Amino acid sequence: MAAKILDGIRVFDLTIAAVGPWATKLLGALGADVIKVEAPGGDRLSHAVPPMIKGSSVLYISANHNKRMIELDLKKEADRAIALKIIEKSDVFVQNMRPGAVERLGLGYEAVAKVNPRMIYVAASAYGRTGPMAGEAGIDPTVQSFCGWCSITGPEHGRGEMYRHLAHLDLTTATTITQAVLQALIARERTGQGQLIEIEMLTAAMALQTTRLAEYFSTGEQPAPLGSAAATTAPHQAFECEDRRYIAVGVEHDAQWSGLCRALKLEQLIDDPRFATNPARVERRFELAAILTERFKTKPAAWWAIRLRKENVPNAPFLTFEELRNHPQVHENQHIIEIDTPHWGRMHVDGLPWKFERTPAGPIRAGGLPSEHTAEVLRELGIVDQPTAGASK
Amino acid sequence: MTAVGSLEGFRVLDLTQGLCGPFCTMQLGDAGAEVIKLEPPAGDFARRIGPPFIEGESAVFLSLNRNKKSVMLDLETTSGCKAVAQLVRDADVLVVDCGPTAAEKLGLSYEQLQSSNPKLVYCSITPFGEEGSLRDAPGSELVLQAMAEYTASLGRIGDPPVRLGADVASLNTGIFAAQAILAGLFHRLRSGEGQRVTVSEFGALLHMRGIMWTSMSDPDDWYGFHLDHYTKPPDYGYQAKNGALYFILRRANSEDWDRLIMELGMEEVLADPRFADYGRAATSIGRYATEVKPIWEAAFAHRTREELIDLIKRIGGDAVPIMDYPSLLAHPQVAALEAIAEIDHPIAGTIKMVRPVARLSATPNAIRLPPPTLGQHTEEVLRAAGLSIQRLNR
Repeated sequence: MAAKILDGIRVFDLTIAAVGPWATKLLGALGADVIKVEAPGGDRLSHAVPPMIKGSSVLYISANHNKRMIELDLKKEADRAIALKIIEKSDVFVQNMRPGAVERLGLGYEAVAKVNPRMIYVAASAYGRTGPMAGEAGIDPTVQSFCGWCSITGPEHGRGEMYRHLAHLDLTTATTITQAVLQALIARERTGQGQLIEIEMLTAAMALQTTRLAEYFSTGEQPAPLGSAAATTAPHQAFECEDRRYIAVGVEHDAQWSGLCRALKLEQLIDDPRFATNPARVERRFELAAILTERFKTKPAAWWAIRLRKENVPNAPFLTFEELRNHPQVHENQHIIEIDTPHWGRMHVDGLPWKFERTPAGPIRAGGLPSEHTAEVLRELGIVDQPTAGASK
Repeated sequence: MTAVGSLEGFRVLDLTQGLCGPFCTMQLGDAGAEVIKLEPPAGDFARRIGPPFIEGESAVFLSLNRNKKSVMLDLETTSGCKAVAQLVRDADVLVVDCGPTAAEKLGLSYEQLQSSNPKLVYCSITPFGEEGSLRDAPGSELVLQAMAEYTASLGRIGDPPVRLGADVASLNTGIFAAQAILAGLFHRLRSGEGQRVTVSEFGALLHMRGIMWTSMSDPDDWYGFHLDHYTKPPDYGYQAKNGALYFILRRANSEDWDRLIMELGMEEVLADPRFADYGRAATSIGRYATEVKPIWEAAFAHRTREELIDLIKRIGGDAVPIMDYPSLLAHPQVAALEAIAEIDHPIAGTIKMVRPVARLSATPNAIRLPPPTLGQHTEEVLRAAGLSIQRLNR
């Protein structure tokens, strides 16, 4: 069997909800031994988020692939002692509780580093440990609201709206955590030491808006919602076609502009000074959109897709899950796959976001039910103490 | 001695353009790697993304290209391709986004390069993935959002599509690409071997919506925001007298709940079954939240959101205003986190940017170099590699 990139790396996963767990799920996909440590009853939020599959929350299922699930009552001295023994044998510690909470459990960075100076310790939170909102809890929709994310999304001349997938910023923050852990693992090869990594959802959400904030920083003007249109490249929007279907089109540079004009039989516009460069096209976006809108309405979406493809102009239909799950591109690249699980049957899951040709990541494995692996993990680590909570199997 | 970054001593050759690849390599530069951005004679096309421009410099380009050196090379000439191949010998990482077919034509596929540098971590970023009929198809932000059904969670059924304002397809994929490169480097440190790693925007976006796919597998009940976000109307939060807020009531108890309802003059909801269990189902992701929003808003209409946020927090809930960029950037929390950094650019002047997100205590990320002008470091880099500029680009 090929080596895994994070072979021999153990993660003490004290995460809750989505931000923390998704980060350690990715580490598990890279081959780390991720031990998810839950309190008795688990974290209420992730267990309560619907829908359910055979009684388990889909959020809980999805966020905890590639892990083993143990239960410890960290409010009890005996279980804390067990936790410290696992920590001695771990390389990465991830928690996303409200600032102060993990310290009250005796598992703050200083305490953990004392036991294991090689530990890479992630403290993730919504707003960080300092400032007027220090220690405030955040969930995806409150962070969406606060970080300016809603103000730039919505129909043109409409109100800014929320993204109804109430987990995107959770997952973006999670991907930042995974990235930072990998950086620290590389550093540790050189220094032999661990370190503390601090990450806030707020900063991660702002970084995801880097290009839109750049517009604001340079103009002092709030970027307005533009429907499907981009603000700084044109034409870059959805067009309605003859069959009332929409096609997404994105011209980001001049070679694609020429291709678009040829595909639409508007060659006379290629060198038209009104539209010949991207800045010119952006400045005259409305005039340009009016011309193109009229043209797109003369044929069905599939016709334009073929012509745009021939001219190498970025374009796509607006797909739904039903179309995606059977789409050859999705299938051949395994972007969505099906797995069998012991407790929840067969399910569609997200594929791996990267492919490594020499040291393949995955396979994606279902995590398990709370406490399912407590006895197994303790036995494997040579820990004879019995936890106060949880069933011994 | 100043602390060095986690990637101190690593060299990255960056052939990418636009938003996605450059955001990825900027993460590596923030971590301390030397990032050499190889640009064609016309420059990265992102230099022409805009308006806005600051003294002719694209604001978007500036935001994605700090901590990099720029070398101008013409890959349509044999000497240009040879120069890249030469630079690759001493590089730790090469990042490309031209697609597998184009890379091979340029002599820059992994197979063609690895023998001269077996330790190389080679990262290829494509819009749709390297298998299948779309392996060489070009992408763009909206195109990827459309393909990955991102727009289904916005707008209203029957209305024109609405996209996410943030450039998530590009930027979040950049983070996944950085992960892949870092993982490849970690493996190389322990094993001595490099490899080829690939990331696609389509794969990244579909990964991010994974909970949706699982939700639709075989749910016990068709209920929950992972399922009904397709059909719900647009969500603007809760309107108060002077703006919108968002709130949740997850820790309310009997006393807190009564206090909230009395203060808001909403006594009639105490008999409303949709508001049972301390309003849990009547707010946020609760089953009746959308349906009963007008009732909340009627009570909120005469109060400012500052009053309401204060009230909700006092009874154990969470509440925030829905902010725009001016209010966000003026908020003391942003200053407390030192979230905004400044750097001086020779042409654009002082520019603001979001600092690197992760704060590492021992090997910190840092902003060291401003975004480069086109070809700013060509002579320096080529000389160090023993390459002559005169012989190039012919």
